[in-house]
Amino acid sequence: MSKAEILEALRQHPFTHDMEEAWKESLAEIARMQTYAPDTLLLREGRAADAFFLIIDGLVAIEMFVPERGSLRLQTVSAGEIVGWSWALPPYRWEFDARALTETKALVLDAAQLRDRMNRDCALAAWILSRLLAVVAGRLKATRLQLLDLYAPAPRRAS
Amino acid sequence: MISQAIAPSASDLFLPRPFQVTGVRRETSDTITLRLRPPDGSAFSFRPGQFNMLYLFGIGEVPISISGVHPRTRDLEHTVRAVGYVTRALARLRKGHIVGVRGPFGHGWPLEEARGQDILILAGGIGLAPLRPALQYLLAHRSDYEQIVLLYGSRTPADLLYQLELERWRGRLDLHVFVTVDRGDEAWRGHIGVVTTLLPLAERLLDLRRAFVLMCGPEVMMRVAARELEDRGVPPERIFLSLERNMKCAVGFCGHCQFGPLFICRDGPVFPLPRVRPLLEVREL
Repeated sequence: MSKAEILEALRQHPFTHDMEEAWKESLAEIARMQTYAPDTLLLREGRAADAFFLIIDGLVAIEMFVPERGSLRLQTVSAGEIVGWSWALPPYRWEFDARALTETKALVLDAAQLRDRMNRDCALAAWILSRLLAVVAGRLKATRLQLLDLYAPAPRRAS
Repeated sequence: MISQAIAPSASDLFLPRPFQVTGVRRETSDTITLRLRPPDGSAFSFRPGQFNMLYLFGIGEVPISISGVHPRTRDLEHTVRAVGYVTRALARLRKGHIVGVRGPFGHGWPLEEARGQDILILAGGIGLAPLRPALQYLLAHRSDYEQIVLLYGSRTPADLLYQLELERWRGRLDLHVFVTVDRGDEAWRGHIGVVTTLLPLAERLLDLRRAFVLMCGPEVMMRVAARELEDRGVPPERIFLSLERNMKCAVGFCGHCQFGPLFICRDGPVFPLPRVRPLLEVREL
């Protein structure tokens, strides 16, 4: 895929669409488009967090492998969302697995080069980290609501 | 028969009519759908979003949302989750049994007002039941509406209601259906997460600033979803939610379902968000 096509994908993706054009051009230099077949891991727990995924199409599950129970799915991430923020925090190590459930197309940014660009440009770093914080907060809220188990059978009542 | 602006006459308000159970379909481990036919076999007229009082003689009476009409027989359908004394007894009914029916009561979904607009239906758990007749109506009048999106959240794949119908809806080209569960299992290949995590998908398909939102589910879910919808640009007066309280008389006399200055049975159960938003924040109600 050409740099122009990657740049266009960055213009379209909800995470980056309103980012300054110069930053998009900079990110396009460190991004590649990747397609993942169903059941392929995008990232694996314990490995180096070396990429930042902008999901273009498909469905990705955030999972954790539990001995004798297999991979347990905790959440799914759809087109227009992002996968992975461990690349932004030392020690840059994935804490969960991420698996494509359907054929998934993602824009994959090289994390080391992205961190390098953020270290050199505080405004870019602030922009990306504030967006990531919003994503993290949204996922935390969703997880808390999941923990409430709102659809569980209500306590027995008269009617 | 799904129709508009239906209310029982004053003499019918407190008089249950004996309906015959013509079928029982098990939806999940604790939820069934009853198929009911009036004594004269006529079609039952109601407005999507309304409810009936179902009376088991000698046991008790409960308010249950009308969950639609059977596509072939046109019998009235009520989906019942067995959570209490009366609903557990309702869930034990079999074909041929008799149920007392009073209704229909309350205000339904604003389907006439929403004509020509995008529709977002947001359902959580058994909250899909009162939304099903709305969807049946929308699909029967499909050309009168723009995009229609259904977002449905459930506890697990085994807790999904109307599974065969869901499959049919998903197969339609003129309806977008997204289903999510709080906890998947090995066979589940779909979305996992609360229903509000599906909103970005809906946003790609319809213009939320112009959409009508019909919502039913646990009150916490609706409170959170209403905030997120407003943040995404949905005008609050276009967000409608169906509330549930302990209803007894069903016509605003007894006060059991009082919700601040409102009676859920008489003024609802479907409300536009601005009418109930301040009350949703009052913890004592």
